[in-house]
Amino acid sequence: MKKPLLAAALLIGMGASLGALAQATGVTDGMNMNAIAMFLAFVMVSLWITYWAAGRVKSTSDFYTAGGQISGFQNGLAITGDWCSSAALMGIAGLIYTTGFDGLIYSVIPFGAWPLMMFLLADRLRNLGKFTIADIVSVRMARVPIRSLIASAGLAFVVGYLIVQMVGAGTLISSLFGLKYEYAQVIIGFLIIVYVAFGGMVATTYVQLIKAVLLLSGASFITFAVLAKFGFSPEGLYEAAVTNHPTAEKVMQPGGLLSDPINAISCGVMLLFGGAAMPHVLMRFFTVPDAKEARRSVAWAATFIGYFYLLTFVIGYGAVVFVMKDPQFLDAAGVIKGGANMAAIHLAEAMGGDLLLGFISAVAFATIVAVVAGLTIAGASAISHDLYANILRHGRASDAEVMKVSRFASIGLGILGIILGIAFKEENIAYLIVLPFTISSTVFFPVLFLAMYWRRLTTTGIVVGGWLGLASAVVMLVVGPTIWKDILGHAAPIFPYKYPALFSMAISSVTMIVVSLLDNSARARAEVAAFDDQFVRSQTGLGAEGAARH
Amino acid sequence: MEHIYREIRRDPRFHDLERKRGRLSWILSTIVIANCLWYIFATAFFPEAGFAAFWGKPIGEGMATTWGIVIGFLQTILFVVLVVWYIRRANGEFDTLKDIIVADATRAAGDKK
Repeated sequence: MKKPLLAAALLIGMGASLGALAQATGVTDGMNMNAIAMFLAFVMVSLWITYWAAGRVKSTSDFYTAGGQISGFQNGLAITGDWCSSAALMGIAGLIYTTGFDGLIYSVIPFGAWPLMMFLLADRLRNLGKFTIADIVSVRMARVPIRSLIASAGLAFVVGYLIVQMVGAGTLISSLFGLKYEYAQVIIGFLIIVYVAFGGMVATTYVQLIKAVLLLSGASFITFAVLAKFGFSPEGLYEAAVTNHPTAEKVMQPGGLLSDPINAISCGVMLLFGGAAMPHVLMRFFTVPDAKEARRSVAWAATFIGYFYLLTFVIGYGAVVFVMKDPQFLDAAGVIKGGANMAAIHLAEAMGGDLLLGFISAVAFATIVAVVAGLTIAGASAISHDLYANILRHGRASDAEVMKVSRFASIGLGILGIILGIAFKEENIAYLIVLPFTISSTVFFPVLFLAMYWRRLTTTGIVVGGWLGLASAVVMLVVGPTIWKDILGHAAPIFPYKYPALFSMAISSVTMIVVSLLDNSARARAEVAAFDDQFVRSQTGLGAEGAARH
Repeated sequence: MEHIYREIRRDPRFHDLERKRGRLSWILSTIVIANCLWYIFATAFFPEAGFAAFWGKPIGEGMATTWGIVIGFLQTILFVVLVVWYIRRANGEFDTLKDIIVADATRAAGDKK
């Protein structure tokens, strides 16, 4: 544990001194040298870690789960790194900046997913799984149809999430570092390929650890600086926000963002259940030795993430107070430069000048790189473990062959990320985040939950319900207000709600239950009978992967 | 492995443990889901519904801080507290009992061979 902390401290110091040096020598011309220097320091440290990790990645188990030897504390911190995407730092602050109180729904509700994961999923997942969430369901279900469904949904999840992160990173870098958008895409894609293809889960874990430490310290510092301006009285901050915001006291009240009840409920369902079943986060439960450590990881992650979300109560309103009326952050029309998502970044500059701006920019960039690395390894595992090893080769592929496919899959995903990032340049990609969350709440949560808790669930039920739910989610998104009306320019959407999760989750769950109940085949009876053994294994960890190691 | 599973299922202590842990998980999950629904519904039905209206009211005369902010803040803290409380029981009391049950069942299954 000392290593990533030391590395984080080291790179803050290195970055700051490099930045000071660059400024002293006067080679800044419009670029933020602090940001570039600190980011370079992050890159050097992470590449060094990857070099060290590459020597330790010898088998698929090392590649996907770091050999199951990560401690609960380290994993909790790494999960924090996986969970807190740039949306958590910049998106929430941006939403509070524009709509006030309702932006906090993106703090409180997704965080509700953490206790749910702890009470309902974490230890059972660890006891039943190996590398991917498809393993858990395959314990008593038919391998090929289950893995086809979960791997396809998983890849759609990864690609949707990947585009959001890549475009976000490109925009951030071009506006901050003065670097061309396309170069930014290539740099990120290259880094991800190196981390994941060579360093596997070991390197990814350490990148996430460092990023989490950087993110938590950066957000803490901004919060401290904002509160210090008001003598550490939140009331003082909120009074100033009410004075400053055009909606006055409404900035502290619900109703600014989600005025339609069905939309609000659907959005909440999506954030809560979708958040509880994200494959790149759940995959991290397999990196610890047993259920005890899996629970410990959740406890640490919940503590760090909860702490981070509490900071958003200050950072968002801080941006309202210190950015909204400051001409240096506004364009000629009085609109915030770079869009509302830049509110947190501008706030950093308002609070700590160039140095803090540079630090937070580098943190935001590291955040995106770490999340993309986590997504890439989850996507690579779906390709090599689920699709290649289990479906194409029927479980007969050698470890070395699967490793090779894993590395190529990571390289392929990295290149795909670059291509999509460039293709979606200057598109409004915020809506794309709805896709992964909807898939996760429609497919992953019901499948995992029912497979572990409901004896009568069968393969046919999962396959019919899962595909139907997935298809309905995609269709409702396409003919909904965001794509059908805003992007394709039709007069009115066919499906009236922006968030289809409430409906698609109901479709998939009800279908899974009804079809399973109707399923009386011999295979279904065998699957129901296998529940008893699966239940004991999920409760005790007896027979769990990696349990024999210690 | 199957015969050990069978031994465990035959052990009444296993069913006790599983029921006790299950009940705790469900009670805590219900608390969390209820809190989230409260938040979501307050957002969706503000300001008409009574359970939502006070979310927009200041916590004191002439203050800017609203009940909504305070509730959201406390909910976040509550979630952390519930998680930490659950892990203490699950990794302590429940796991100790589980280890005993597994050890006994493994021995019993070995004896029968």
